[in-house]
Amino acid sequence: MVHILGINLPDNKLAKFALTSIYGIGHHTAHRLCARLQVHDKCKVKDLSPFQVTSLASFLSSPGTAPPLPRYPLATPDYVPPPTSVSTQELQANFLENYRKKKVKNSDPLKNLKIESELRREIRENIAHQRMIGSYVGRRHAMHLPVRGQNTQNNAKTARKLNRLDRH
Amino acid sequence: MSLLSAVARAGPSSQISVHSVQRTLLPSIVPTLNLVDAKRHKTDKAGQQKRPPTGTPSQAGYLKREEKSNRWRKALLQFRPLPANQLDHPLFNPETEGKLEVPAFTPKTITAADSIGQAYEIEPPADDPLRIFGLPRSVHFEFRILTKPYTVVRQVTKDTVEYLSRAKKQSSAQNRLVMTGRAGCGKSFLMLQAVEHCVRDEWIVIYIPRAINLVNSTTPYAYDIRTQTYLQPAYSFQTLQRMLTVNKAKLAEIPLVEDLVLEKQTLTKGTKLTKVIEFAIAERARTVGQSPAILDAVMRSLDVQTDFPVLLAVDEIQALYGKSSYKDPHFLPIQPYHLSLPRLILEYASGKRQFSRGAVLGALSVSQTLHPVPLELSDALGLEDMHAFPISPFQKRNKEMLLYTEGLKKLAVPEKLTLEEATGVFEVWKGRKAIGREGMYYDEMLLGKYTESAGNARDFVWKGLLNTLEA
Repeated sequence: MVHILGINLPDNKLAKFALTSIYGIGHHTAHRLCARLQVHDKCKVKDLSPFQVTSLASFLSSPGTAPPLPRYPLATPDYVPPPTSVSTQELQANFLENYRKKKVKNSDPLKNLKIESELRREIRENIAHQRMIGSYVGRRHAMHLPVRGQNTQNNAKTARKLNRLDRH
Repeated sequence: MSLLSAVARAGPSSQISVHSVQRTLLPSIVPTLNLVDAKRHKTDKAGQQKRPPTGTPSQAGYLKREEKSNRWRKALLQFRPLPANQLDHPLFNPETEGKLEVPAFTPKTITAADSIGQAYEIEPPADDPLRIFGLPRSVHFEFRILTKPYTVVRQVTKDTVEYLSRAKKQSSAQNRLVMTGRAGCGKSFLMLQAVEHCVRDEWIVIYIPRAINLVNSTTPYAYDIRTQTYLQPAYSFQTLQRMLTVNKAKLAEIPLVEDLVLEKQTLTKGTKLTKVIEFAIAERARTVGQSPAILDAVMRSLDVQTDFPVLLAVDEIQALYGKSSYKDPHFLPIQPYHLSLPRLILEYASGKRQFSRGAVLGALSVSQTLHPVPLELSDALGLEDMHAFPISPFQKRNKEMLLYTEGLKKLAVPEKLTLEEATGVFEVWKGRKAIGREGMYYDEMLLGKYTESAGNARDFVWKGLLNTLEA
């Protein structure tokens, strides 16, 4: 059982689908997260390496402050790898040196990711704002009725159950 | 009644017992079924009382459904025939399992003058590629049903064997073939025959039966800054293990051509390849991450040596020329030539790397709908007839991929079995008692099904012979 931000991910589930149990992460975001960590589609949660688990946890704890992902070069058809006398650390250091000189904009959609309590807070604030400005949407939330123009003669059961001002 | 339709049908919702299934299936072909009782408990929705949801809507899990752990459903296991010595039920008689006596598949017997249309049995030892590398799905299933690997030699088999005997003395850059043809015409079987022939003819064989598994994101991957590609350590490790098992005696005579520098030690030039791979396997936890580098070093040593010809055989090769399911950290798709193992195969297939003696054989798999034959490969092999619509010269081709398709030649597997070859296939299924009954007109069935299937091998067996009432 892997615990990430207090959420338990079952071992035998595919990592791509286990991540959807986190509030605010759906299938597409989960797929993007797996790609970011180089987790293949059929990887189960028990097969995740400790490094992948810690980097996932550290990313999800604050997606906005995560360092931007560098764009690593990909081999051309006639690429010849450097000899083994050049260490991997040296190659990595050279690459990062050149990369930092360029000012690359971070266009990663995951940097704006909100999950769990932050997302619930945002939703609560949105509903509170609608109420504060006295809008129709706010009034409907307050009356526990459908907000988006659905029929109420019949079939408003979910809205009556869930629509609240303090919804999350 | 078709065997497959019996396997695939949903069945009644009551408990399926072994005996009821035996009545519906073919006792003559599959003596007993290693079936687990497939109980399907219907969820008693009417009986369950709906509990009122607990907590307030603001709490997590308010609308969460009950866990489905109480719904137990065991999947129907794939049919595995029981060994003959366990057939002691009074239902079976000594003739239930047909005894087919055919010559063994060896390079001498298949190149004999009268071998066309003759069935042979591949007698695989413990380290045979068939057992170690595995088989494509269709071939695997057919051998499972037949219980032994029987194969019929065709004219195209003899031509391929002759081609390989010439390729034995030439560099692999001059011998790069891709088997093409209609669905079900026998490409995978022909490739298997070529692999089995080469193993018995003292070649070093590397056989990848399902290249789709290299690009469908089922194995781990990690970027490597040295090679500037995404390494596939698990698959490279598995390939090394399998290569060692199949070719142990020959690899023991081939030395490393240059020093192999690993993280914690260096394997010096001259170390025998068996020692190199055994080291990798023994220290698995430490070296699995470096297995792509070890595999590369082993392949470079095989390139240079001239003692043994090397065969690189890849089935479903069109998957390596299309799109992969892997994504890079920026969620862009990774091209197959940026994955370590597909890149290795593409380099040999395009002649950028070559064995001093040997050949590269590929086979298309036209039945794979998720991995269709890509444009670049179609262009290189001249497969305009395969596509439903004319290929436009204005459709975009991947320029880098075009470089990897240069110099590929096609081996067009004949669409039809000749009547002689079809008779051989028929004799195999008849000999195994899969089809037929007492007093049957076998020639009527053979000619009828041969005509209906227009000579297509797969249709002849699966839609023809096994779809009759006598099957």
